[in-house]
Amino acid sequence: MSIDFERISKRYGELTVVNDVSLHIASGEFFVLLGPSGSGKSTLLRAAAGLTGIEDGRILFDRRDVTHVPARQRGVGLVFQHYALFRHMTVGENVEFALRVRGVKHADRARRRNELLQLVALDDFTNRMPGQLSGGQQQRVAVARALAHEPAVLLLDEPFGALDAQIRVELRETIRQVQRRLGMTTILVTHDQEEAFALGDRIGVMHNGRLLETGKPEMLYRHPATRFVATFLGAANLFLGELSAGGLKLGQAQIAAADSQRASGHGEAVTVVRPEDIELADSEARLHSTPLCSGHVQSLSFAGGVQRLRVQLPGDSAVQSAVNLANAAPLVLEVTRNSSEQLQLALNAGQRVAVGVRRVHLLPTPISSFRILADSAQDASQLRNSPLLNQLATSMRARIIDSTASSGEGNVTQGVAVLAADSRAIPTIAAALARGTQRLLCIPAGAPLPRRVVICTDSDAARPAALALVASVMRHLHAEATFVSVQSPAAPRGDVAGSFRRLLDTRAELLESHGLDVRTDLQVGALDDWLARLAASEEQTLIVLGVAGDAAQIEATLTQRFQPLLGGRCPVLLSCSHAPVATLGAAGAMASAQEPDQQLIDGAE
Amino acid sequence: MTARHFRVLPGFGLTMGYTLLYLSLIVLIPLSAAFLRSAELGPERFWAVVTTPRVLSALRLSFGAALLAALVNAVFGFIIAWSLVRLRFPGRRIVDAIIDLPFALPTAVAGIALTALYSANGWIGRIIEPLGFKVAYTPTGVVLALMFVGLPFIVRTLQPVIADLDRELEGAAETLGASRLQTFRWVVLPAIWPALLTGCALAFSRAVGEYGSVIFIAGNIPLQSEIAPLVIMTKLEEFEYGEATAIAVAMLLISFTLMLAINGLQLWGQRRQRSRT
Repeated sequence: MSIDFERISKRYGELTVVNDVSLHIASGEFFVLLGPSGSGKSTLLRAAAGLTGIEDGRILFDRRDVTHVPARQRGVGLVFQHYALFRHMTVGENVEFALRVRGVKHADRARRRNELLQLVALDDFTNRMPGQLSGGQQQRVAVARALAHEPAVLLLDEPFGALDAQIRVELRETIRQVQRRLGMTTILVTHDQEEAFALGDRIGVMHNGRLLETGKPEMLYRHPATRFVATFLGAANLFLGELSAGGLKLGQAQIAAADSQRASGHGEAVTVVRPEDIELADSEARLHSTPLCSGHVQSLSFAGGVQRLRVQLPGDSAVQSAVNLANAAPLVLEVTRNSSEQLQLALNAGQRVAVGVRRVHLLPTPISSFRILADSAQDASQLRNSPLLNQLATSMRARIIDSTASSGEGNVTQGVAVLAADSRAIPTIAAALARGTQRLLCIPAGAPLPRRVVICTDSDAARPAALALVASVMRHLHAEATFVSVQSPAAPRGDVAGSFRRLLDTRAELLESHGLDVRTDLQVGALDDWLARLAASEEQTLIVLGVAGDAAQIEATLTQRFQPLLGGRCPVLLSCSHAPVATLGAAGAMASAQEPDQQLIDGAE
Repeated sequence: MTARHFRVLPGFGLTMGYTLLYLSLIVLIPLSAAFLRSAELGPERFWAVVTTPRVLSALRLSFGAALLAALVNAVFGFIIAWSLVRLRFPGRRIVDAIIDLPFALPTAVAGIALTALYSANGWIGRIIEPLGFKVAYTPTGVVLALMFVGLPFIVRTLQPVIADLDRELEGAAETLGASRLQTFRWVVLPAIWPALLTGCALAFSRAVGEYGSVIFIAGNIPLQSEIAPLVIMTKLEEFEYGEATAIAVAMLLISFTLMLAINGLQLWGQRRQRSRT
């Protein structure tokens, strides 16, 4: 039985625990919902079981809408973390429960009960009470019980959470075998990535109520699209690299295009290097991979088959971290070495090593870092502490870089420039645009965290980049997005129909290529007036404005049409797209901005 | 020598000694006094006193009404306890505090209040008596007063057990296809059954001995609405100490037998759960 979640949202009061999740699970598939606690994964599972109501969206079983079908009629088997066995019944009676409530005859019940207990290798325990069984055995009873009524869907809510490591692995095997044999569509909820890798045909990673990415385990591990997935699914070192025609530049090291994925495009890019893709040697000459830098071993620990090391880079290293480091702490790499590497070179704490990189992966996120543009350190810290920037940077695990202090970094072309929305905003924006910056976030002093996001573009050319940017931002905000098209009152009637069509197209495009669903709204008037009114009236709205043109054109547009907007109460996120006739480099950058399209959806590749 | 177990209370001898002394002073000696006093009558006279129609009717009313009140309270007390634990509504804490009022109130006050409400010109009596429901000065009134007195026992014993009840159990039953009734019958009830039984036993035994609240609303018509404790009081006022203690001993024996039966029932339930190895 296939399962479809269509735009599921679940709120508890103010808190949105599941935020607009859409997901298709094929018949017979073993799907793992992975996420930290509080990410909404259990709520989604309970919604599938019918134990939790949802505010928005539909749940389909085999394309049949079951959203309002009560749990007892859905025909699902659910296994809970704490077993939820009926303590006053024997093991056998527990397993028979689903048949008993259906009035199945005693002989048939006994036959089915024996079959199921055999399946989980507990046939000698029929007459025991659950309290006399170990945790692992109890959970096996719970699995057998959940299968008694031959459900087409098996839902497992952290079934291994309360068990010892060894029992976990055994039960994992049992569940995998049972699932294979019976061919049920299965959803497992877990926060353990090892479990997800071991069991899942496909994995979906949830964070803050959003489904960030789905894909095959290896696919997600090797080619994550977001910083969160890169770091949650296994360890990862995140660097800021500089993409150009020649390949990727990481610090002083130049990595050939062939070695890095997607080595097209231009500008700053978040680079993922897995711990096992880092090579250590006693000198640079002995490295088999691209030399990155040198460092010294800070600590090492034994972890079964592999050795885990932390390698500290010198403070003056040119390699830039993509995540925030506390108080200018030195960059520390996580490295793992297999036994043959350990044999070739024995390492001790404190030893100097040369660091090489075997393989890198570039994240397609349009937001590689936040660069604060401010005149004084005080302004900079005010921006740094604004709720919006804080929320975005923390949730994305993105680095906030102060461009004020180290204004030597002249080639700030990528990342999002962050500046205060005040009277000096336009000149600052103009200067940044002239240097090639394409994304700017203007935050008014004291602006609260937005509850609503409004997206507008001044032309169709500005749309793709703006949408990619919004898709990236929306995953990290608990807000509702609305795409607004503003229609001139002077336009002929035919244009209105066209505007409607464009709105729907935009919505479809966002859903199709970014997995983000937005509301749409058609307003009549002039875009700049409408936005200025919005910015003046509402505090808790983030305005995402897409504009197109070259630097001078954009500056002119901003000065002439959107000056009041930048002095309003709403934070404004500007996405500046260079017109199609712009320079080659800029076009490349646009392509890289659109790249999440391919990957965020269902791990398609 | 093996190491001795750590005991919170000092050794077996001392603790057991206190237990017996206390039980003797507070419970056993007064009760034995009643037995001794009634023994003065001799077995035939004892039997004659206890089997007079007035006494038999009073005993039947006392035990019957107490049992009925406990059963009614079992149903509604469960619903109240469930609501207090599971539902969140404004004023929940106040309702929770109100439950204890029958404990705190002198029972005579409750009796007077109930009588005032249900007598022919009381607020409620005025409405229901023309409809043919007579509560004040009938056995129904006795049951009502005993329900009032017994409610907190049931609610307070059930509350912690319901709070401990794993909600996932109901979820599990639901996904396995059980209806609400089936979930209640096979999952919830077995889990709260021992506590419910304890609550009923407490409410019942309290109600059997209840005097203050009942005498006002009962009307105390011999053979109709007169309860056993009142018969005892009447006998005492007539200086018939022997007869009074005889009735008391009869009540004691019946109560003790019933308590033993309830304990046996609980034990049987627990054994049945444990012994299925």
